[in-house]
Amino acid sequence: MSISTTSKTLFQVKAPKGLSPRITWLRDYYFSGAKRAWNNEFTAWTTGTPWDVIFDEITFYIVPETYAFMQTFRSSMFQAARRVSLPAGFWSKSLPERKAFFVKEVMVNYVPQEILPGDLIAGARFNVQTSTCWTRKEAKERDRLIYGKKGARTTMKWFHDHGYGNSGATSGHIIPGYEQALKIGWKGIYEDIQARYHSLSTSDKKGPKGEQLKAMMTAATMPRDLAHKYADACTGLAAGEKDPARKSELAQMARNLRRVPWEPPRTFWEALQALWLTHMLIMSDENYPGPGVSFGRIDQYLLPYWDYSLAQGMDREFGKEIMKCFWIHANTVYDAMIRTGNQGITAGYGQLITLSGMGAGGKDMTNDLTYAMLEVIDELSPILEPKPNVRLHRGSPDELLDTIVDMISSSQGSPFLLNFDERSIAGMMREARMAGVEDLINAGNVHDYAPVGCLENTMVGNDRSGTVDNNLNLLKAVELALTGGRDLLEFVDPITGKRDRIKQDGPETGDAAKFATWQEFWKAYEQQTRTIIKRCVDLYEKSESIRAEFCPTPYLSCLIKGCAEKGVDITGGGAELNFTTLEAVTYATTVDSLLAIKYLVFDNHECTMAELIDALRSNWKGYEVLQAKARFKTPKYGRDDDKADEMALNVMNLWCDETWRHKTISTNRQFRPGMLSWNYWVGDGFILPASPDGRPKGQFLSNAICPSNGADINGPTANMNSVGKAFGGRSREGSGDWNGYVSCLPNGASHTISINPSLIRDRQHREKFKGFLKGCIENGGSSLQINMVDADMLRDAQKNPENYSSLLVRITGYNAYFTSIGKELQDEVIARVSHESL
Amino acid sequence: MRESQTTGNPKAVILRIQRLSTEDGPGIRTTVFFKGCPLRCLWCHNPESISPDPQVHWVKSRCIGCRICLETCEHNALGFTDDRLHIDHCRCTDCLSCTYTCPSTALESFGRAWTLDELIREVLKDRVYFETSRGGITISGGEPAMQAPFAEAFLKELKEEGIHTALDTCGQCTEKSLDRLAQHTDLVLFDLKEISAARHKNFTGAGNERILHNLVFLASQMKSAGSQGELWVRTPLIPGYTATRKNIEGIGRFIADNLSDIITRWELCSFNNLCTHKYEELGLAWACRELKLMSEQDLEYCTAIAGGSGVDPSIVHASGPTRVLSGGDSVAHSSYAGLIDDEFCT
Repeated sequence: MSISTTSKTLFQVKAPKGLSPRITWLRDYYFSGAKRAWNNEFTAWTTGTPWDVIFDEITFYIVPETYAFMQTFRSSMFQAARRVSLPAGFWSKSLPERKAFFVKEVMVNYVPQEILPGDLIAGARFNVQTSTCWTRKEAKERDRLIYGKKGARTTMKWFHDHGYGNSGATSGHIIPGYEQALKIGWKGIYEDIQARYHSLSTSDKKGPKGEQLKAMMTAATMPRDLAHKYADACTGLAAGEKDPARKSELAQMARNLRRVPWEPPRTFWEALQALWLTHMLIMSDENYPGPGVSFGRIDQYLLPYWDYSLAQGMDREFGKEIMKCFWIHANTVYDAMIRTGNQGITAGYGQLITLSGMGAGGKDMTNDLTYAMLEVIDELSPILEPKPNVRLHRGSPDELLDTIVDMISSSQGSPFLLNFDERSIAGMMREARMAGVEDLINAGNVHDYAPVGCLENTMVGNDRSGTVDNNLNLLKAVELALTGGRDLLEFVDPITGKRDRIKQDGPETGDAAKFATWQEFWKAYEQQTRTIIKRCVDLYEKSESIRAEFCPTPYLSCLIKGCAEKGVDITGGGAELNFTTLEAVTYATTVDSLLAIKYLVFDNHECTMAELIDALRSNWKGYEVLQAKARFKTPKYGRDDDKADEMALNVMNLWCDETWRHKTISTNRQFRPGMLSWNYWVGDGFILPASPDGRPKGQFLSNAICPSNGADINGPTANMNSVGKAFGGRSREGSGDWNGYVSCLPNGASHTISINPSLIRDRQHREKFKGFLKGCIENGGSSLQINMVDADMLRDAQKNPENYSSLLVRITGYNAYFTSIGKELQDEVIARVSHESL
Repeated sequence: MRESQTTGNPKAVILRIQRLSTEDGPGIRTTVFFKGCPLRCLWCHNPESISPDPQVHWVKSRCIGCRICLETCEHNALGFTDDRLHIDHCRCTDCLSCTYTCPSTALESFGRAWTLDELIREVLKDRVYFETSRGGITISGGEPAMQAPFAEAFLKELKEEGIHTALDTCGQCTEKSLDRLAQHTDLVLFDLKEISAARHKNFTGAGNERILHNLVFLASQMKSAGSQGELWVRTPLIPGYTATRKNIEGIGRFIADNLSDIITRWELCSFNNLCTHKYEELGLAWACRELKLMSEQDLEYCTAIAGGSGVDPSIVHASGPTRVLSGGDSVAHSSYAGLIDDEFCT
C-alpha cells in the first residue's frame, strides 16, 4: 500500500544535519555575523600620496544601487586607509610592478594571519581595498577620463537613467587555471614566467612586456610568502595547544603550508589548502570579494588528490570535514561589508563550483568526489557559497539524478543550479565558429567548459568573457521604434529634480503612427536595436580602456593562459580567449511587446499606433480596456505557441547577430551574447516607461530568458519548450551547432521555474520529476534553477521573517535569503510561485 | 459545436488540456479533458465538464469592470450589480459573443471545439517528456466515451505515433464504445465509485449495473486478447458518501472476486474541494460545499480497510489532498473515522 498526498505540512525550511562539533561551531560562528570578534571586513591600504585612489568605481558601474555612493566610497576608503611604507625606487617602477608589490606587501606583511578555532584551512582575511598605486600624473589622467563631460561616469549614468541598462568593465567572473596551479605549483608558474622573461630581447625586457612579466613574478611569490606566514601562525598555535588532537592538526597544517601552494600538493588536504590560498588572493588582487571568481570542474581536478589520500588511509568523513572548512572560508567573502545590515550578506556573490558533466566522447564524469561534495552541500545547507552548479547531460547516471532530486525536494529547490551540457556545448561551439577560435574551442575539448558566477558558460583557465559587464534592455529599442528615436518620457532626476530635455537619441526611423504594415515597424525596431547595441559597446569601451591602462591585476594574470605568453595583463586583453558578454535584459517583455503591437495595431486593428503610443505615454491611464487586451488577449512568449515563439527567435537572432559584429578597440575583446540579467529587471522596471505588452511603468520587466510573469499559462513543460526554441531549438541529429542542438547564446541564459512541491512528494513523483529534468536536457535552455516553495510558505515568511532567516529562494542565477531581499522582489517571487501552483 | 462524426477533420469539444499532469497514469502525461458526462455525481469537482457544450463563465479577479459585455450580449443574459457580473443561465445561449469582446478574458468559455489534427499537434508538444518519464497521454473528462468516434480516432493516431495512451472513464457508456476505445489504449483508469446500486443512483443519478458490467466485460476482453494493457480502478473517497467501510470493502470484494488477475492498481482518491469557485462561476449550488478535506489519518484508515478487503494490499494506493489538523482540532472532531464506520450515513 502506498499513500501519496498533497497535505500541507507545517512549513519546514532546510536545516543543516550531521555536522561535527567543529563545523557546527564554525558555521554558527559565521552566521553570527557582525557580532563576531573576528571578521573579514574590508581594510583599506594606501601609498600615502594625497592623490591616492583606493576605491575603483568602474567595477561597480554594473551595480546601479551604488551610483549615489561612489564619491562617498572613494573618500571614505581614502580616509580609512592605512599607510604602507614603500621601498626606495617604488615610483620609478611600472604600474603593474607597483601594483604587484603593493598587494603582496599588504597581504604578507600588513594584514594579520589568523586561524579560527578548529579550522583545517588557513587563509582568513582577504577582503582588502588596496591603493591603485597611481602617480599624480596617472591619477589626474584617469580622473579626467572618469569625470569629464563625456567621461565614463557621466556616460554610464546617462545610459542607466534613460533606460538602456548599464555597462562597465567588472572584476571577477572567470575560472582561473587552478588545475594547472595545483599540477605545477606556484613554483612552476613562477619558473614559466621567469623563462619567458629571460627569452625576451633586451629592449622588450625594459618595455611593457618585461615590466608585466616582472610584476607577475613578484605576484607569483605572494602565495608562497603568505603560506609561510600562516605556517608560522599554525606552529605558534600548536605550541600553546593542550588538546593533542588539535595540536597535531595544527602541526600538519604548518607542514602543509610550508609546502603548498609553492610546491604541487600531494594529498587532498594540501590540495584544498593550496586551492584556497590561490583563490582568495585573486579577490585580494582584484579588490573585489568573490563575484564570479569560480572554481570550474572541482570534482574533476581534485579527484587525483582525493583518491590518493583515500588510498593512503584518509577517512572519507575527514576529507569531507576539510571541505566543510573550505566551504566556510568561501562564505566569508560576505564579510566585506558586514556592517551594512543583514550581516553584509547580499547573495550577490558567486564563487561557482561545477560538479559532474560529460567528458570526452560524451562519457559521464560523475565520481566519488562529486557525491562527497554533494554530501557536504547537503549537510551544510542552507549556505550560500561556494555556489554549486551541477552539469547534467543525456548520460547522467540515475544515482546522480536521484541525489539531486532528493536534495532539491528537501531544500525548497536549492541548493544548486543545473546546467544542461548539450545546449551549453552547442553555444560554446557557436562561439568558436563566430569568433574564429576553433583552435581553442573544438569538439576535442569543448566538454571542459564550465560556468562562472551563476550559469555563464566559459572555457577554463584561459578565458575572460566579461559575463556581467554589459546589461542591455532590449525593450529600449521598442520604445525608440515607437517614437522614431526619442525617449517616450522626459527623464527627471529623482534626487536633484533636474530634467533632461527629450532629444533625438536614436536614429530617425520615421513616424510609427504612419506605418502601414508590421514589416515597417519591424524595420524600425531592427535599426533601433542595432543602435542601442552600438551605444552599449561604445559605453563599455570607456571603462574597458581605462581599466586596461590603469588597473592591472598581475596576480590574476599569472593564472590565465595567454597573459604570460603575450606579456599582457588580463585587463589589457591578455587572456587567450578574450570576450565580453552582452547580457540582454527584458527579453520576454520585448517579445511580448512586439507581439502586442502586431496583434493590436496591424493584425486585429484593436487600436491605432497613435492610440497605443498615447496609452503608453499616459502609463495606460484612461486606456484600461486597451491595456487589458494587451495583457490578456495578445499572444505571449512562453506558452509553446509556435507563432509567438517564432517572434521570440526573430528577436533573438537580431540582437545576437548584431552583438557578434563588435569588438572592444582598446583590448580587442569580441562581444558575445548571453542572458543573465541578474536583478536589473526589477529596478529598471521603474525607469522604462509602460510597454505595449500591457505592463505599466513601475512593474517588473521579464527576467533573463524566462517568459513574462504569469504569461506561461501552459505550465513548466511549455515554458521549457519555448525557452529551448528561443535558443534556436533543435535540428537534425549531426547538424546544428553541436549534435543536433542549436544555441544562439554561448554564455547561456538564466531560466528559473517554480514547481509546486506536490510534484516531488514521494518516490513515484520524484521519478516523474527526474523524467522532467531529462526532458529539459532535450528541450530546454542552457541552465535551470528551481524554486520549490509554496506561496503560502512565502507569505508566512514575509509576515514572520524571524522564523525563516535561512530560507533560500532562487532569484536569477543565484540563491538569496528570502527575508533579505526587498519587499518588491519578495512579492515578485510570490507572484511567480502562486501562478505556478494554480 | 458537437463533433462532426465522419468525414474530413472531425471535431470534439475539449474542456482543457493539462500538461505535466502527474496524477492520471504513469510518468509525465498530457491529460485531455473531454466535455460532457452522463453522470451527475454530487461531489463532482469538475462541474464545468458535465455539459457537452462550451459554457460561459466569469472570473472576477480578471474583470476590469468595463461592462463591454453588457453591450455585446444579445440575449440580455448579463447583469452587473455590486461589482459582480451575473450570468442568467436561463437566457444565456452560450453563444460566446461576450467572451470574444471581453478585453481581459474575465468572461471565458469552458471548453471549445478542437479538430483532430489541431489536438494531435498540441498534445505531441510534450513528446520528449513522455519519452524521458515513460508517460503519455490520458483522455479524461467528463466522459470521453460520449464523443467516442473522435476519441477513438485520437487514440488510434496516438498509438500510430508510438505514444502510451490512457483512458479515464466512468464506465457509463455502451459496451461497444468502451471496447473500441480500449483497443487503442494501454491503460484504462476505470472509476468505480459505489458498490451499492441504490446508493450509486442516489449519488450520481444512475445505477451502477452498466458500470459493473462494463468493468467485467473490459477485463475479460483484455484477458482474452492477451493484451499488454493495464487496468486500474479508481474510487473517490467522499466523506459521508462513498468513504464508508461498507463501500470500500464491497468494492474490494468485487475486485477480488471478478478482477483479481488483471487489476494492477486500486487508487483511493481523497475528496477535493478546490472546485468551490467553479460552482460559483457557473452559478450552481454544490451539495459538498461544506465538506472538509479528509485528514491524512482518515485516508490511512480507508487505505487499511481497502487493504483488508480481500484484494492484494500492494495494489492499493491513496492520493489526493488532505488537511493538516490544526492545534485546535480534537481527534474526534477532526476525523471522519466515525462517519466511515457509520453504516447509515447519508
